Amino acid sequence: MKNIIIGQYIPGKGLFYRLDPRTKIVSVLFIMIAVFLLQTIEQLLIALGVAIIMLLIGRISIIKVLKGLKPILVLLIFTFIFQIMLNREGVMIVNQEMQLTIFTALFLLLALIIWRILSRYIRYRFLLFLAFVASIFLILVYVDFGYPLVNSFSFKIYEQGLRMSAFVVVRLLIIITLSTVLTLTTKPTDLTQGLEKLMHPLKKIGFDSESFALIISISLRYIPTIFDEANKIMLAQASRGADFSEGKLKDKLKQVISLLVPMFIIAFMRSEELANAMESRNFVPGEKRTRIYELVFSYRDVLATTISVLILAGAIVLKVI
Amino acid sequence: MSYIEVKELSYSYNNKTNVLEDISINIEKGEWIAILGHNGSGKSTLAKALVGLLEPATGEIFIDGTLLNEDSAFEVRKKIGIVFQNPDNQFVGVTVRDDIAFGMENLCVPREEMLEKIKFFAKKVNMLDSLDKEPANLSGGQKQRVAIAGILAMQSDIIIFDEATSMLDPFSREELVKYIKTLHKDGLTIIMITHEINEALLADRILVMNKGKVYAFEETEVIMKKKEVFTDNHLELPVALDLANSLEENESHKEIRDKLWEYALIK
Repeated sequence: MKNIIIGQYIPGKGLFYRLDPRTKIVSVLFIMIAVFLLQTIEQLLIALGVAIIMLLIGRISIIKVLKGLKPILVLLIFTFIFQIMLNREGVMIVNQEMQLTIFTALFLLLALIIWRILSRYIRYRFLLFLAFVASIFLILVYVDFGYPLVNSFSFKIYEQGLRMSAFVVVRLLIIITLSTVLTLTTKPTDLTQGLEKLMHPLKKIGFDSESFALIISISLRYIPTIFDEANKIMLAQASRGADFSEGKLKDKLKQVISLLVPMFIIAFMRSEELANAMESRNFVPGEKRTRIYELVFSYRDVLATTISVLILAGAIVLKVI
Repeated sequence: MSYIEVKELSYSYNNKTNVLEDISINIEKGEWIAILGHNGSGKSTLAKALVGLLEPATGEIFIDGTLLNEDSAFEVRKKIGIVFQNPDNQFVGVTVRDDIAFGMENLCVPREEMLEKIKFFAKKVNMLDSLDKEPANLSGGQKQRVAIAGILAMQSDIIIFDEATSMLDPFSREELVKYIKTLHKDGLTIIMITHEINEALLADRILVMNKGKVYAFEETEVIMKKKEVFTDNHLELPVALDLANSLEENESHKEIRDKLWEYALIK
């Protein structure tokens, strides 16, 4: 647990690494708004191209960005399918008859069982899941014998549906890529400091951005420590016969509680000691402090901010026209 | 007036039993004090009271002539720092550099000066090569050294070690004690709460606490000869001193006794 990576930051030396975190946050925000303002799939595809060119200029490995997409892949695919199925405007492209007979149901059940069994042994579960979904389609289309359970129905894809689903997916892709670039190239500490500085004006309405930043940085600092602790407690519980990997859901929940309770108690004790240590080193919440790290705003940041403002302005113009 | 003066200090957590009772001690500048005592004898509570983390029920604490209270705590804490037992629970920064800086940031030290001091004091505790390391990649002893550097950087000249060596492996423990020795040589006042009798032997004076009271507070050489102080408080004397104390008081034993004393105290 010693080398647990917090966030996705990967040390490097590209263009984006040299930008001030404030610039990066603001620019990403502006460009995201701009992306939301775009109206057609053609514009979005151009934006996606620009995003990829930016990745190349910044020498950010596209594979790493794709890895960042992994957690939302399922979401992307479901959005795509729903959009296709629900949108019924424009020219019909596909019209496929489907049947649900007693044999179809049987085959579906068989496919489900095979999928469940295989998913235990195969590493690329996601590909397997896709194959499973595809096989459902094939079964619904081609197994047309036996006693029909419901009337045959047809699966239709319309032009507009296809366009809309592509639109939504590409938009999500761009936005995730943008935020991945931000987290890949900015240290969590820099990110919090950038946020702190950006939210500083909120002090007027009672939001203490400095305490907020301190809370985040202390949380970041204690994540590995608490992971370590969880590991120790798990070992301790396992040595007394607890089993965290098997058993029914009810048993698993019980095991989790046996892990959570001591973790919370220890975390509370830690926080008290930490508060003492901080106080003894003269920390007074809300007081003015100097900072060891200074954010430096250079010509690069001016350039980057200008470009992002131009992109936003361009998007607004496109929207108005 | 002594550098640290505690006058009739009492403290209780819930107004029932006193954790500290009527404690009066004086500590001079540059002294090395060891505090011994069984669990629950009030050692750590006294340490917390000295840095103003607890408000005493009755009694007063003066540090360098300043009465410690809520208003003066900020000023007093510039002079006195504390290293706690658990190295992990006092490491505030994300890296070594951040942690050494934390106290100075609170004191509003200008950035340039901070960077200089961090280098200077990191070198002093031999952590200069690890400034960018994260706490997860440091040993317990290294973390305690970072804590010392953080206190030194605040220009404190009193450091309390609240069982600071108890969670360390023997090697790191020895190393930390070595650093404490150099700090003492540099003229800092050291207050060291410990369970290790061998560490206590290094001190100029030893304060033995029992049930929140001062049981004994005397020069190390003097207190080590009083066997009953140790048996009464369930403390174990080093073997050599135990032997020396058990030898009969006569001329023929004197040489052996002196040798045993020498052995125990130098160690």
